[in-house]
Amino acid sequence: MLSKVKSMALNGLEGYLVEIETYISNGIPEFEIVGLGDTTVKEAKKRVEAAIKNSKIDFPTQKILINLAPADMRKGGSSFDLAILVGILIATNKIPKIDIDKLAQTIFIGEVSLEGKLSRVNGILAMCLEAKELGIKRVILPKSNANEAGIIEELDIIPIGNVQELIKYLNNDIGIQKVHTQIKRSKTKYDLDFSEVKGQENVKRALEITATGGHNCLLIGSPGTGKTMMSKRLNTILPELTLEEAMETTKIYSVSGELKKDGLIMERPFRMPHHTVTKNTIIGGGRNPKPGEISLAHNGVLFLDELPEFNRNTLEALREPIENKEIAINRIYGNYIFPCNFIFIASMNPCPCGYYGDEEKECKCTMQEIHRYLSKISGPLLDRIDLHIEVKRPRYEKISSKTKSETSEEIRKRVNIAKEIQRERYKNENIASNSELTNSLITKYCKLDEKGEEILETAFKKLKLSVRAYEKILKIARTIADLEQKTDIEYKHIAEAIQYRSLDRRYDN
Amino acid sequence: MIIEYSDRLYPEKLRQINKPPSRLYVLGNIEILNNNGIAVVGSRTNTQYGEKMCKTFTKNLVEYDFTIISGLAVGIDSIAHKTCLKNSGKTIAVLPCGFNHIYPEVNIPLAQEILKNGGTLISEYDENTKPDSDKFRERNRIVAGLGIGTLIIEAGNRSGTSITARHTTEQGKPVFAIPSSLDNKKGKVTNELIRNGAYLVRNVEDIINVYDIKLTKRKSKKKDIYLDISEELIDVYKVIDDIPKNVNQIAIELGLNVSDVNYKTMLLVMENKIMELPGQRFIRNDEDYE
Repeated sequence: MLSKVKSMALNGLEGYLVEIETYISNGIPEFEIVGLGDTTVKEAKKRVEAAIKNSKIDFPTQKILINLAPADMRKGGSSFDLAILVGILIATNKIPKIDIDKLAQTIFIGEVSLEGKLSRVNGILAMCLEAKELGIKRVILPKSNANEAGIIEELDIIPIGNVQELIKYLNNDIGIQKVHTQIKRSKTKYDLDFSEVKGQENVKRALEITATGGHNCLLIGSPGTGKTMMSKRLNTILPELTLEEAMETTKIYSVSGELKKDGLIMERPFRMPHHTVTKNTIIGGGRNPKPGEISLAHNGVLFLDELPEFNRNTLEALREPIENKEIAINRIYGNYIFPCNFIFIASMNPCPCGYYGDEEKECKCTMQEIHRYLSKISGPLLDRIDLHIEVKRPRYEKISSKTKSETSEEIRKRVNIAKEIQRERYKNENIASNSELTNSLITKYCKLDEKGEEILETAFKKLKLSVRAYEKILKIARTIADLEQKTDIEYKHIAEAIQYRSLDRRYDN
Repeated sequence: MIIEYSDRLYPEKLRQINKPPSRLYVLGNIEILNNNGIAVVGSRTNTQYGEKMCKTFTKNLVEYDFTIISGLAVGIDSIAHKTCLKNSGKTIAVLPCGFNHIYPEVNIPLAQEILKNGGTLISEYDENTKPDSDKFRERNRIVAGLGIGTLIIEAGNRSGTSITARHTTEQGKPVFAIPSSLDNKKGKVTNELIRNGAYLVRNVEDIINVYDIKLTKRKSKKKDIYLDISEELIDVYKVIDDIPKNVNQIAIELGLNVSDVNYKTMLLVMENKIMELPGQRFIRNDEDYE
């Protein structure tokens, strides 16, 4: 007896169709799965057998052969369990009244437990999105995954609790209510707010510019000045996720098994890996590559606290993804591309002891030690950071003052307007923000008035700025002009932009 | 040019030291070799404190028309040379090598700068001699020898700086040392020198008073400070004084947006009206350098 059941597998972030062919023939009882499955797939034999037996159904004492087609692609994970189980049940005619036509448009995804219950698997959203593209009508999956898949309106999502229920449903003995998750477009509530930050106006300003232009930012300051605290609030002034962005982000979280609650992720992610993190965890990797921290930060913020403490290799690996907004991971069995369009924020101390340039504590480092500390971050990485800002210890009077500072909501309003201006300006250029401006686009969109040119020229001579600093300054100036809703970059915008290149000024000589 | 021991131009001060160099190779202004000079020396790995002290003392010494003598090494030596040049003083760099092998290479531009500004490079080795550790030590006797005293800013243990101090004493000239915090590793030697009889100096007058020469302080050219500052920058300029302030403090004091303060301070920096210190703090720029 032969049966064919459809399921989905993951290839990086994309789902693809896998056909589960079950062939049961007479002979010495045997159960084999072919089609390049990993150990988890091989172990499905044991789970499926126990689940069938524990659901009070006879397990065939025959020769069972399962093929996962296409047979030349590596497959992993426990999501085929359900399809294998259904394949065996159909091949042994345990579901006599099954609708064969409907079966061709149905996919089964899920892991089975030994007692015959269905449990949650990762990457449901990605698989269902692909299923929709392939014209599949119905998805049968574990209850715990239903809300995640229910976002896709075009599919009938059937949640199943255990094997008994599944058989009854397929036999048309019972009906099961389809799941459809309402997407709540309510205002995202953040626990943090910029109004809680007293003083530190220059840092707030820099972060506002960062958020507006999608720039990358480096905060330099002594311990305890609030670098981390303020970075964590960057999310609250970014625009709300669009539906499309929310889908992308949720898909990545779903695939990496990081989805904490059901439904779409509507908050921008904020990722803050510890400095002992390995290169693969940051970039993504593994034999069946999983997205790394940079992809989990897609559409959000990647924050690296204590930047010089990170492994040099890890930091070097960040260079291309920051530039390209996606990372390609190459394996013998295929290339995987994960998106990673994030705002990169990093923080560091100004020197090994942490107090260089501090107002109260004297720095005990020698200039050589400071240079060595700074050289831990390579030039090429520094090249990709647009703004450097010095964070100072706020005065006590400021911390205790009762006057509330600006709320995130107020700042976000300005950011949104400036973002809109950028989108409008670049609609024919295939970019969305000032940080993405290329060389030729800079000459096109960042024109300076005479005084601006003059200032830039003096700045070059006096501060000995590099060519890379030149482009950054223009990009930042463009963002500042957008925040003020000015069409042209004025000299003050240029002068302010130079202020945000403190590392160039401070350490290049 | 080459000056033999027998030559009339050979600096008298060097004839009086132990093992005077038999011949001197000199580039630049030879007249200043006989000026009143103070050797300003210190560690190659100085601290922030050392830098600050070196700048203040060098600047003030130059104002009393002292020539600054040092060794063109990185750290304190470079700071001394640079500060001297900035304040349009004359400076002598004593090299441990020939002129074709100026060491360290990063200071070649500085050496050129010294020559351009009427300073002098001097060495006892012919132009193709490469530096080595012996020559570094040998050189220090000339550094001490050319001056009428030596000012030690900061020094590492068993460093070349301590050797210079020893030579100075042997030559019968005063050693001046700047006191340091007991925590400062680079301050151990200076504090020890003071304990062993070096002059503790708190300001440049402490140095002057040791000599019975009459010296007058050069009048610094103070410009009319408000004159060439544009209308829009004057408010920010007025609140910036000798105590470093950061952007936030200025903004609060004036009730301005940080964005405005940001651009105004930057324009002032570029016009040389104010100076930026490490940590994005600003003070008035009273030094007048290029």
